Amino acid sequence: MSVIEINNLTRDYGGERGVFALSFKVEQGEAFGFLGPNGAGKTTTIRHLMGFIRSQQGSVMISGKDCWRDSASIQKILGYIPGEISFFEDMTGTEFIRFCAKYCGLRGEGRTKEMLDRFELRPKGKIKKMSKGMKQKIGIVTAFMHNPEILLLDEPTSGLDPLMQNRFIELVQEEKKAGKTILMSSHMFEEVERTCDRIGIIRAGKLAALDSTEALREKHLRSYTVTLADEKTAAAFAGDFAGKPEGTRVTVSAKQTLEEIFLNYYGGDQ
Amino acid sequence: MMFSFTLYKREMKKSILTLVIFGALMTLYVSVIIGMFDPALMGSLDEWADIMPELMAAVGMSAGATTLIGFMSSYLYGFILLVIPMVFTILRANALVAKYVDSGAMVALTAAPVKRGAIAFTQMKALVTGIIALVAYAATVELICASKFPGELVVGDLLVLNLGLLCLQLFIGGICFFASCLFNETKHSIAVGAGVPALMFILKMLSNTGEAAKKAKYFTFFTLFNPDGIIAGKASAIAGMIALFAGACALFIAAVTVFSKKDLHI
Repeated sequence: MSVIEINNLTRDYGGERGVFALSFKVEQGEAFGFLGPNGAGKTTTIRHLMGFIRSQQGSVMISGKDCWRDSASIQKILGYIPGEISFFEDMTGTEFIRFCAKYCGLRGEGRTKEMLDRFELRPKGKIKKMSKGMKQKIGIVTAFMHNPEILLLDEPTSGLDPLMQNRFIELVQEEKKAGKTILMSSHMFEEVERTCDRIGIIRAGKLAALDSTEALREKHLRSYTVTLADEKTAAAFAGDFAGKPEGTRVTVSAKQTLEEIFLNYYGGDQ
Repeated sequence: MMFSFTLYKREMKKSILTLVIFGALMTLYVSVIIGMFDPALMGSLDEWADIMPELMAAVGMSAGATTLIGFMSSYLYGFILLVIPMVFTILRANALVAKYVDSGAMVALTAAPVKRGAIAFTQMKALVTGIIALVAYAATVELICASKFPGELVVGDLLVLNLGLLCLQLFIGGICFFASCLFNETKHSIAVGAGVPALMFILKMLSNTGEAAKKAKYFTFFTLFNPDGIIAGKASAIAGMIALFAGACALFIAAVTVFSKKDLHI
């Protein structure tokens, strides 16, 4: 039995928005990257998994339970970072984190302190006054504090600075090693490439590609080997373009942007 | 579990300031009005009623009350004790559900092992607690102020009258809370949750002003609350109370149900 099972999910918002006949599975202990441009249907899919909205067609299951009907019991083992962070503005960060712990029935602090340290967060001030990055960090703390077995992360690094993005990716890698099942959405290939075993690419509500990260990387990573005049120039070139020098030869690779990857799948006609 | 104490505590903390302000306002009005009661000379307020009968009638004040309870019924239960809890209800009901959905903060409440029904039920309980507190407080202030006139007030009558007021306020609470649960945007929740009770209240005031507008009373639920009828023990007035209470229950059940079943785009 797969931990996350989406079967023929359809939710039509009209005007070609929504998700259409979407199917994929995420296995126990697997990290699944959910890639797509804005408005492709990533958040809509995750809202179904969270039990916020009911599917028009098809089924959405987590651990064999129906995500709409049994959402409260699924939430016990689930951690969620919403795509758009909005908390009780009147509370301080500390108050909100404490509120969440109590509200979720968590005894004690759980992993709160570990998370605060990891992201160097001091949540003393009012949430209203916090920057987007601070709020995002609070979202991370509350998603991980009860040490959930399943993680639904909707663009979890948005608003974080590169250093913190890196720390978050390390956290996800550790969680994966600890056997957690992870679904992480993003619009950046690099981010999911570093954490996920498999990647699903969604566009206009339909799954455009579903493959292992390895296979997708090979398809979309183009390497060039250039020969330069002398070793010194080669070393400088390698330094500037993140290439691998080998004598006077340097191998550089170019990653395609997500849009270019899509063009590949759609043959450029969309 | 059908109830979250943690959430309830937070919401009561958010209600407390509004409750204190509205409580103070009621203390002021109730004590001033009751202080004007003079069994020997039913003077000052009745003079006003003679000078501008339409305006005084519109706010439920009619001359000629000779008992303290009749005096209170006409000068307190026609306007001030209807409006103050109603405004509290409108403000809080919207903030308890619709505002969280609108701002997205509802995510924090639904992304937890707490059922939707339990969330809505908790918020409903927080609203109802506030309404009961305001009405109970009004009754207490009345009793204290009326103790200046020993033997003038039958305590039982006053309690039944306030029970009637509670039924009315719960019914208004039901309307506001249902609107808050039904709509995803604050502006719609307020338009219906505040608009319907306000419109009904205007119709009630209109129906008081004269024969021509009397028919308006058939179009407003405020008619179901009949203070003088309740004091007199009229069966129709008691039936009105029961109807308001039943309506309130139905609206609250509908609100919790609609919130449990709707799509949340948060």
